[in-house]
Amino acid sequence: MDKQLDVLQGTLDMLILKAVSLGPLHGYGILFRIQQISRDRLEIQQGSLYPALYRLEHQGWIASEWGESENNRKAKYYRLAAAGKRRLQSETEKWNRMAEVIAGILHTTPEEV
Amino acid sequence: MTLLSRFRSWLRALVRRSRMESEMDTELRFHIEAFAEDLVRSGVPRQEALRRARIEFGGIERAKEECREARGVRLFETVWQDTKYGLRMLRKSPGFTATAILTLSLGIGANTAIFSVVNAVLLQPLSYPQPDRLVALMRSSPAGNQWAISVPKFIVYREQTKVFESIAAYDSAGPGINLTGGDRPEQVKGIHASAGYFEVFGAPIALGRVYTAEEDRPGGPHVAVISDGLWRRRFGADPTLVGRTVELSGDPYQIIGVLGPGFKSDPPADIWLPLQADPNSTNQGHYLRAAARMRPEVTLGQAQAAMKLAVEELRRKFPNWVGPRESATAVPLRDTVVSGVRSALLILIGAVGFVLLIACANVANLLLARATLRKRELAIRASMGAGRWRIVSQLLTESLLLSLVGGALGLVIGFFGLRALLAINPVNLPRIGEHGAEITLDSRVLLYTLLVSLFTAILFGLVPAISPTREDLNATLRDSGARSGGGFRQNKTRSILVVTEMAMALILLVGAALMIRTFEALRSVRPGFDGHNVLTMQMALSGSRFKKTAGAAQMVQEVEQRVGAMPGVEAVAGACCLPLTGGPDFPFAIVGRAPVSGSYSGDVQWRNVSPQYFEVFRIPALRGRVFTARDDAGSTPVALINEAMAKQFWQNENPIGAQLLIGHGIAPEFEDAPRQIVGVVGDIRDYGLNNEPAPIMYVPEAQVPDGISALENRLMPFLWAVRTKVAPFSLDTEIQQEVRATSGGLAVAHVRSMEQVVGESTARGDFDTMLLSIFAGVALLLAAIGVYGLMAYAVQQRTQEIGIRMALGASPEKVRKMVVWQGMRLAVIGVVIGVVAALELTRFMAGLIYRVKTWDPTVFAVVAVLLSAAAWLAVYVPARRASRVDPIVSLRYE
Repeated sequence: MDKQLDVLQGTLDMLILKAVSLGPLHGYGILFRIQQISRDRLEIQQGSLYPALYRLEHQGWIASEWGESENNRKAKYYRLAAAGKRRLQSETEKWNRMAEVIAGILHTTPEEV
Repeated sequence: MTLLSRFRSWLRALVRRSRMESEMDTELRFHIEAFAEDLVRSGVPRQEALRRARIEFGGIERAKEECREARGVRLFETVWQDTKYGLRMLRKSPGFTATAILTLSLGIGANTAIFSVVNAVLLQPLSYPQPDRLVALMRSSPAGNQWAISVPKFIVYREQTKVFESIAAYDSAGPGINLTGGDRPEQVKGIHASAGYFEVFGAPIALGRVYTAEEDRPGGPHVAVISDGLWRRRFGADPTLVGRTVELSGDPYQIIGVLGPGFKSDPPADIWLPLQADPNSTNQGHYLRAAARMRPEVTLGQAQAAMKLAVEELRRKFPNWVGPRESATAVPLRDTVVSGVRSALLILIGAVGFVLLIACANVANLLLARATLRKRELAIRASMGAGRWRIVSQLLTESLLLSLVGGALGLVIGFFGLRALLAINPVNLPRIGEHGAEITLDSRVLLYTLLVSLFTAILFGLVPAISPTREDLNATLRDSGARSGGGFRQNKTRSILVVTEMAMALILLVGAALMIRTFEALRSVRPGFDGHNVLTMQMALSGSRFKKTAGAAQMVQEVEQRVGAMPGVEAVAGACCLPLTGGPDFPFAIVGRAPVSGSYSGDVQWRNVSPQYFEVFRIPALRGRVFTARDDAGSTPVALINEAMAKQFWQNENPIGAQLLIGHGIAPEFEDAPRQIVGVVGDIRDYGLNNEPAPIMYVPEAQVPDGISALENRLMPFLWAVRTKVAPFSLDTEIQQEVRATSGGLAVAHVRSMEQVVGESTARGDFDTMLLSIFAGVALLLAAIGVYGLMAYAVQQRTQEIGIRMALGASPEKVRKMVVWQGMRLAVIGVVIGVVAALELTRFMAGLIYRVKTWDPTVFAVVAVLLSAAAWLAVYVPARRASRVDPIVSLRYE
C-alpha cells in the first residue's frame, strides 16, 4: 500500500495515547512511533499534533516532564497518566466494536439481507 | 480526566504565561530540529533540511494558537486584550463615555435603590431562628384574613401540638408600661405574652430565665422579662439584676430574666409580662395575636388543615363562638409583616425597570451611532482575520466596561440617594428601621446591581454589536470616510429604540401624574376634623389604678380642668383614639329592632371620648347635642353616632332617642347598659384620608364599662388632644408638665401635632409619589436626550444632502420643518403607543390612587403634551442647526 491515509477525525487522540503507553516519548518521537508502527501508512499533520498533546494533557490523560533527548538536547517527554490508561482501554474497545460493526455492514452480500 | 487537573493546568497556564510560552517555543523548535536532523542523516544539506522541516510542519503560529486554545488560555487572553482595547477606545471618546456611564448609572441606580428597599422589606428573612417555620394564626373569612384571636380560641389552638412545636398569644404592646420608682418615671413598651412566646421566636436568654407555663396562669406571680436594651439603658447592665423587684405601673414585678442583645420583637418591646389568660374564659373579644412554630416535618398546608379542623371542633362544642362564615388558617409570619406594601413596591420595581430600559435604549442608540463611525475600524479588524464573534465579543466587552462602571456609580447614587431621601422623609415602611437604617448594602444588593449591570450591557450592547458585523466588508473599506453608511437598517433600529423610549417615558409619566393627582386629592379632602393647632400625646394607663373606669375618668376630668385653664389652651380632651389612628369596633343591637346577624344589628367603630373631644377637633353636632361633663357614671347612659352610622342604620328616620345595646354577650365584663342616642355628629375619615368615613359610635369616657376600660388600657395607649390658640409646639413643654403633674406622675410620650399625625397617615403614599415622580423625571430627561441624539446624528449625517437641497432652493424654514417633522413623527408614534400601553398598565395602580381614574383624560392629555413638548425641544435644536447649513461648506464636508 503506497498511498498514505489521513488520520480519521477523532482517532489522533487514541493513537497518541497508544504511542505514549509504550513508553515516554517527546512530540517528535510520538509522530515517529505512530508512523513506524503503521509502517508509514498513516500521515499525521505535524501542526495538529501539538494542540492534541496540549489538549490531552489539559484533560489529565497524559503528563509531561522535561528530559534529555537521545542527542542530549532538552525535550519535553509525555507519558500516559492513570486516567489516560483507562481512557485508552475504553477507546480501544469502542473502536473495535465499531470496526466490527462497520466491517460487518460492508461485507454484507445481497443474499444476507 | 478530572476537573481538578483541568483547573490546575488552566491556572498554571494563566499564572505562568510567559514561561509556558517559552516552553512551547522550545518544544516546537526541538521538533523541527529533530526532524531536520533526520533529514540531514538521509543526505539532505542542513540548510535545506531546516527549510523542509519547517514547511512540513506547517503554520507554527497557528499551531501555537491552537495549543493555547487547547489549554483554555485563549478565552482569558481574549478578554484581557478586549478589555485593554476597550478601555483605550472609551478613553479616546470621553464625551461619549461620560454620557453613556451617566445614563446607565441613573438607570442602574434607580434599580439599586428600589431593590435595596425590596430586599429589606420583602426578601430579608425574619431575624428569628428558622424563620420559615413561623406562622401567624389567623381568623379567616371570605372577606380575608384577620390576625386577631380571642382567649378561648387560643386555649383550643394551643392543643394543636401535632403540627406546632410551640404556640404563643400576645398583645400589641400598644399603651406602654410605666416604669416608676427610681428618680425618673419612664414609659416603655411591654408585651403581655403567653409562656410559649420565647420558644416560638427563639428568644435568646442572656440572664436568668423566662417565665414558665406554670407562672402563665390567672393569679400567677408578677414576673417580668426585659430586653437587653432596657437592661443596659435603665439598669446599667447590672449582672445581679435578676431577682430584683421593680415597679411597673405602680405594681411590684420581679425581674426574672434578660433577653440577648440580638432579639427584635414585633411589635418592638422592652418588657414581657405573662399573659395569664384564663383557660375558662368565654371572652369573645379578638384582641390578641397568635403565632406558632411549626414542627420541622410539618408543611404549611398541614398546619392550615389542622387549624381548620380545630376551629370546626370549637364550632361543634360552642356554636356561638365561631361566626357562620368564619374559619381559621396559618399564614407565614413574614407575610403579615409586609402585607400592604408589596403592591406599591412591585409597582416601583416596574417603574425603575422602565427607567433602566430607557437608559439602555439611549446607550444602545449612542453605540449604534458610534458603530457607524467605527465601521472602518471594524472592517479593518475583520479583514486582518478577526472572526465575527471576535468582533462581537470586542464590542460586548466595551459595553460591559460601560455598564460595570455605570453600575458602580449607580450603586453609589442609588443607595446613598435613597438613604438621603429617607433621612428627609422617614416613611413608615415595615422592617426598614429608623430612617432606613435596616436597608443595608448586603451581598444580595451588590449581586443584584452586578446582575442588572451585566443584563444591561447585553441589552444595549448586543444590538449594536451584531448589526455592524453583518455589513459587507469590501463596501465599507472602499467607502471614503467614516461618515458613509448609516444605512436604512440602522436608522430603523434607532428609530424603533427612540419610539420605545418615548412610549415607556409616557407610561412612567402617567403613573407619576396619577400619584400626584392622588397627592393633591388627599390634601383637598375634607377629613371632617380640624387638626390645625392641636397637640396630641400618649400616656399609658396601666396598673391597678386604671382597672376601673372611674380612675381614668377622674384623672381625665382633672387634666381637662387644669390644662384647660392654662393660657393659650382652648380645649382639652382625653380619648381612646385620635382621628386617623383607628380603634376598636363592637357589635351593637338597636333596642326594639329585629337583629340582622346573630343578636346584633351591626358592627361599627367604638370611640370613648371625653366631652371636649368634639370641640378640640371641631367635629360639628348635626343633630341633638354632644357630650357634657354631666354625662358621668351616675347619669343616664348616652351615646353619639356619626352621620355615616345614622345614614346606614336609620336612613331618613331620626336616630335621636333610639337606644343602643353595645357588645351584649361578648363577655360578662364588657356588658353595657342600653344607651340613648343624644346626638348625631359629623363624619371623620378615620381609616385614612383616602377611605370614606366609617360609621362610628361615641361613648362618654366616664360611662365606659370597667371591662372595656381595662382591656383598652392594656392594649392601647390613652391619648390626649389639646387645642391651642397659638402654635401647638410653643406650649408643648408646659402642657406636658401639667398633664404629668395632674396625672400623678405618669410619663407622657409620642408628642405630635395633629398635623403630624395626618402627615404620617399619608407618608407611605407620599413616598411612592416622590419616587415615581423622580423616576418619571429621569425618564422624561432620558427620552428627550434620546430623541435629541437621534436627530442630531441624523442631521450631521445628512449635512451633504441638506446642503444640496438648499443649493437647489429649499428655504431654511423648509429644512427646519422637514427635520422637526421627522423627529416629531417618531415622538408622536411613541406617545400614541405609550398611551395605549399606559391604559393597560395603570390598572395595577388602582389600589394606590385616590379620586382619580386610572384613565383620567386630563392626566393623559397633560402628559402627552408635556412629553411631546420635551421631544419638540429636543428636535428643534438639531433642526435649527440643519437650517443653518451653508450649502458651499456642506458640499465640501467629508
